[in-house]
Amino acid sequence: MSTVYNPKMTRRESLKRMGSMTSVVMIGGIAVACEAPQPEAMTVDASSNWPGLDFAAINENGYGTDPNMISPTAPWPRTLNSAQLDQVAVLSDIICPQDDRGPSATAVGVPDVIDEWVSAPYSSQHRDRVQILNGLQWLDDEASRRFSSSFVAASDTQQIEIIEDIAYRDRGDVPEFEHAVQFFSRLRRLVFGGYFTSPEGVEDIGYIGNVPIAGDYPGPTDEAMEHLNRVIADLE
Amino acid sequence: MASFEGFEYDVLIVGSGAGGGMSAHILTEAGIRVLLLEAGRDYDPVTETPMFQQNHEAPLRGVSTSDKNFGYFDATIDGGWQVPGEPYTEAEGTRFMWWRARMLGGRTNHFGRLVPRFTPEDFNMADRDGLGENWPIDYDEVAPWYDRTEKLIGVSGTNPDLEDTPASADGVLQPPPKPRVYELLLKAVTDKMGIPAVPMRRAVITQDLDDRKACFYATGCGRGCSIGAAFQTTTSLLPWAQKTGNMKLVTDAMVKEVHVDENGQASGVTFVNRLTNEDIRVDADRVILAASACETARLMLNSKSALHANGLANSSGQVGRNLMDSLGADIGGFIPALKGRPKYNEDGYSSNHLYIPWWDNEGQKDGSLNFTRGYHFEIGGGFGSPGMGVASRVDGYGKRAKDEVRDLYGTGIGLSLRGEMVQSDNCYCEIDEEVKDKWGIPVLKFHWQWSEQELNQVAHGLEWGKKIIEAMGGIVNNPDVTPQQAIKAGGQIIHEVGTTRMGDNPATSVVNQWGQCWDVDNLYIMDGGVFTSNPHKNCTLTILTLAMRNATHLAEQMTAGEAA
Repeated sequence: MSTVYNPKMTRRESLKRMGSMTSVVMIGGIAVACEAPQPEAMTVDASSNWPGLDFAAINENGYGTDPNMISPTAPWPRTLNSAQLDQVAVLSDIICPQDDRGPSATAVGVPDVIDEWVSAPYSSQHRDRVQILNGLQWLDDEASRRFSSSFVAASDTQQIEIIEDIAYRDRGDVPEFEHAVQFFSRLRRLVFGGYFTSPEGVEDIGYIGNVPIAGDYPGPTDEAMEHLNRVIADLE
Repeated sequence: MASFEGFEYDVLIVGSGAGGGMSAHILTEAGIRVLLLEAGRDYDPVTETPMFQQNHEAPLRGVSTSDKNFGYFDATIDGGWQVPGEPYTEAEGTRFMWWRARMLGGRTNHFGRLVPRFTPEDFNMADRDGLGENWPIDYDEVAPWYDRTEKLIGVSGTNPDLEDTPASADGVLQPPPKPRVYELLLKAVTDKMGIPAVPMRRAVITQDLDDRKACFYATGCGRGCSIGAAFQTTTSLLPWAQKTGNMKLVTDAMVKEVHVDENGQASGVTFVNRLTNEDIRVDADRVILAASACETARLMLNSKSALHANGLANSSGQVGRNLMDSLGADIGGFIPALKGRPKYNEDGYSSNHLYIPWWDNEGQKDGSLNFTRGYHFEIGGGFGSPGMGVASRVDGYGKRAKDEVRDLYGTGIGLSLRGEMVQSDNCYCEIDEEVKDKWGIPVLKFHWQWSEQELNQVAHGLEWGKKIIEAMGGIVNNPDVTPQQAIKAGGQIIHEVGTTRMGDNPATSVVNQWGQCWDVDNLYIMDGGVFTSNPHKNCTLTILTLAMRNATHLAEQMTAGEAA
């Protein structure tokens, strides 16, 4: 049942692949696969259409209090099914597309980061797991209501129409979108966090530390000092 | 002379952190033989420190979890706010957090290496405000020991000639690194406000010292330091002590009780071998406790006998009392004018290059402030290694949001208040008779309550922190936060001291000025428990300094044949 998320996959390819998986995605209105988490309870919030699915905490070992810090590994299995992973991939590239300064989120494996994240046996990751799995379900439900489609199978324009409704914090004032806005805000943090912590993202953002310096710490460059002096002058 | 596994020793030391490590160094150098018991596992920073590993190499990009509370790469092993199988409890209404590490070198492996000195007035604050107690020693007595300690551990910094920053002797300090952009911006505005911003003294060397290498300005100090640039006992005091041949080190040895003889003198200890769960009893002619303020108090309170019914060396009833931490509160924001600023390597030596010492002693003396003890601000910001919170301010999606993350990188500013609390009868630890840890040792129960003094101080810090950030053109994250919301829990700053305080009076203190217990001549305390007050200057330097002074005194007495 499982497919391997391919970090090199483009959004278009992922859309094509998802087209053939729609029946899987929509079984029971819940994205499920054999390894997928089973919802335990459902509280329907009619005003927001928020799925309100509850998920049991991941019952796996964490890395413990004395992990190998030289060659780290995450011991817990990943839990997103292929449909969820592909949905995360589409969303990741909507949030963090390729541009003139850096690659896309999927190109640096962000969906893998999110899969590891929502599968982790820690309480804050569990909260994110509940929020994100509900959010993925809400997006499918919303796409179904609006376009009779899954989110992934919807057209780019249709996807963006939904995203525009939930991508900004002030949209949280609309009762219908309150939960979805919180979900998207959380997902955005994770996607950009995953992207900018990747080696490509670190280069993109311009972090040039973590290299040994012989002799004294050189301090700010001339260019950095000139900028600082302008900032100080402007304060006066 | 006592012996263990064929090794004969004069002094048994419990704990290998700042106090135990320094005691072991001083005694072994003086030719005194030492058995050192450490509750945690053996640990070697040279091979175990994650130098250069980046966030993407760690599970969950290195964020904090319940297994690693300060993030994946923090040096702490088998510890944090909880130690598996070794709980503590809080009295109703109390919030107290107790950081422990079960590893050789203890918390010195990860501490911030911020090492300011106490001032002359810090030893006599009760004279000023009538609160708490004066120390039984004064600055003039301790100053030469500060010099020796700073020279030994390696401290970088300057002597800025301020009331809050007493000078070291010539030639003691190494030069500090240059300040960074956000620190210089802060200094530009605080200079105008009449508030000093000066180099933070840190136990990080900027020049080679013995076999330790100068800092190479990469890898956060909290991970530990394989080259020995950031001070920790595991790359300095402990290997030096072992090199003398006068020390036997036993790790995974959790001491549960100190025994006494028929005269009430310390005669040995029982420890649990954590690997075999076996109790092992060893003899001792002299015992030094340096297990950390709270762990030492726990051990003493759990060591009851006919002659010490109230707990060992506790005729004063002060063991576990007078527990103090530093106050903590954070105020932060970002500086729009720093958006898109020119990139450069801003790692430096990770923590503060500049900080703000306490600047308004006068306001306290003339009564214009409604709190009597000082604080300092530690400064955070810069182009750090990006983490999972990199987009926390960003809204929307797509290219525009991505550009905003890039623009905001390096614009953050944070001020962390670290303040002095007043000793209080409401803040203490005691044995919880209901709960035992997995070794069968009764655990500590904490009691804690901030007073108006602390809340007023935090209110002042929030107000001035806001003024400073706004003067930098910054936008404060949470301008309406109240002192009650902002103040950290007791223990959360990890500066616990005072539980076995020193004094001149056996009725109100546990040890004399030499760290020797009033009730038990051959029992010494060399950790932060001996502090009489807890000035806002981070405590480790003074723990090290008092341990050096008092272990030297003990060694001199032993050599002269005078010690118990």
